[in-house]
Amino acid sequence: MIRLFTYVYMLFLYAPIAIITLFSFHSSASLSFPFEGFSTQWYEALFSSSDFMTALTNSAIVAAGSTVLTTLLGTFSALALMRMKGRVKSVFAFMNFAPIALPGLFLGIALVIFFSLIGLPRSLLTVVIGHTLFTFPFFVESVRSRLEYFDLSFEEAARDLGATPLKAFWLVTLPIIGPTIAGAAILAVALSMDEFLITVFVTGSDTTLPLMILSMMRRAVSPTINAASVFMLVVTIAIIVIAGLVMTLRRRRLELERAETAE
Amino acid sequence: MNVVNNSEPILLDERDSQAGKHVKIDKKTLSGYLLASPPLFFLVVFFLIPSVLLLVASFWTAKTFSMEPAATLANYAKALGASGFYDSLWIALQNGFWTAVLSTLISAPVAYYIVYRTRSNAVLYLALISWFSSYLVRVYAWRSILGTNGVINSTLLHLGLIDQPLDWLVFSKFSVVLTLVHIMLPFTLLLLVSGLRDIKKDYLEAAADLGASGATILWRVIIPMAHKSIVSSFMFTFVLAASDYVTPQLLGGRDAMTTGLVIANQFRSVGNWPLGAAMAYLLLIVFMLVYALLLGVLRAANLAPGKRYHD
Repeated sequence: MIRLFTYVYMLFLYAPIAIITLFSFHSSASLSFPFEGFSTQWYEALFSSSDFMTALTNSAIVAAGSTVLTTLLGTFSALALMRMKGRVKSVFAFMNFAPIALPGLFLGIALVIFFSLIGLPRSLLTVVIGHTLFTFPFFVESVRSRLEYFDLSFEEAARDLGATPLKAFWLVTLPIIGPTIAGAAILAVALSMDEFLITVFVTGSDTTLPLMILSMMRRAVSPTINAASVFMLVVTIAIIVIAGLVMTLRRRRLELERAETAE
Repeated sequence: MNVVNNSEPILLDERDSQAGKHVKIDKKTLSGYLLASPPLFFLVVFFLIPSVLLLVASFWTAKTFSMEPAATLANYAKALGASGFYDSLWIALQNGFWTAVLSTLISAPVAYYIVYRTRSNAVLYLALISWFSSYLVRVYAWRSILGTNGVINSTLLHLGLIDQPLDWLVFSKFSVVLTLVHIMLPFTLLLLVSGLRDIKKDYLEAAADLGASGATILWRVIIPMAHKSIVSSFMFTFVLAASDYVTPQLLGGRDAMTTGLVIANQFRSVGNWPLGAAMAYLLLIVFMLVYALLLGVLRAANLAPGKRYHD
């Protein structure tokens, strides 16, 4: 019974995605069964559109920028949280999480007012800042639980043996926490590629991939939107699966090593 | 263990530490603070200050797409004086309520299945992957399924089962809530699974051994013990769905003007930022009231016992 319910649940989650994927390959523009035949014309139309290429480039720039920023800041946060205790730790952890406790709408309009008051014109730079505010909390949350088990005494041992703090981090801490950081960074790329609730407000005249799809949807119904949606879907899901693999493979290896030392 | 670090705390004189004014700060804590400063700086500049500015701006006066400093309650008065604001709030609250209730209810059995019936996380991972398939893509998917020329209508027309497109399918409260539920499900599932993971199967078995029925176990054991994650699942979904401004715009009918959309329009087309800021804070206050109400109801129904079960 409950197993059947779970299958229906998964079907509900994936059916709409499957349907638009199917119709993105439809040879006619109609969204109706029976299916008339396969064609890649909507993808050809999409990839030959210069708007799409511009939006894709912008999305890539923003994702790269916000991921680098998120990874730097998030790693600092994670290292700080490992050293904190009690109330200070919970207050700092809460601050790290706070931006995503509020809806994107609030962040978007607060940033618009802020940028306008400090005289920073809206551009891809402001989009990068907006995205970082959104991806950073996810980064810290996904890294935090895994780093709880990191033993600071490794680092202290390196320091006792004469390593500078930077060297201790580079030679001891980073090799241990690296894969976790990498997994979370890939997650940040995926989140940034999809973000548009904040982007709508903080972008100037630049469009990103989701903004392009949004404006296409406002204008007309065309199977090119199907193709664009499926393209975005494939990109994000590929990114997420890679992130998941990076993180699980690392854990498997750790478990294996632990099992070997135990024997 | 690093002997040097631990034996060299910056000790303050005894009087101070006894008075509790200072705690001893060792190098480890200090380096923690140092490491925390770059992210803290970022959060203060780009999150805290803008949020405070948004509040401050709600008391300013508007010029087109800019503002003039003032100390007026006029924006709040204007928002609260217009019947449109209450209408939009009512629609937003309904969207939020139905989405949160349905997503939590539908995800609960699946969370139960994942935690107690299967040892693999495959279902959870699959659901989470779908969560990352863009929000916008899913809005679009539902529009092409439910639309007047969409998959359901055109297929039914083609088969001759109907001769007019079913217009309640799209641009209605139904289509908005259906889409929002679809978007939120993986998220509520994740929160409920992490809540149930804290309840060992032993408790459920003990209750069953003592003669409790399935319903009793649900009401007297599972819900009280998992109430925190149920509340967070409900509230997060509620807030995200109620403040959403894209799904109602793309899938809602003419009466789908939610508060989120009204606020977004103040910034995108109307250009009255202070009014938008005031509405945003009013919406936040309403969310807090809903949270308080939810906790109150759970306490009154004896379903939120506080900490004692976990200690």
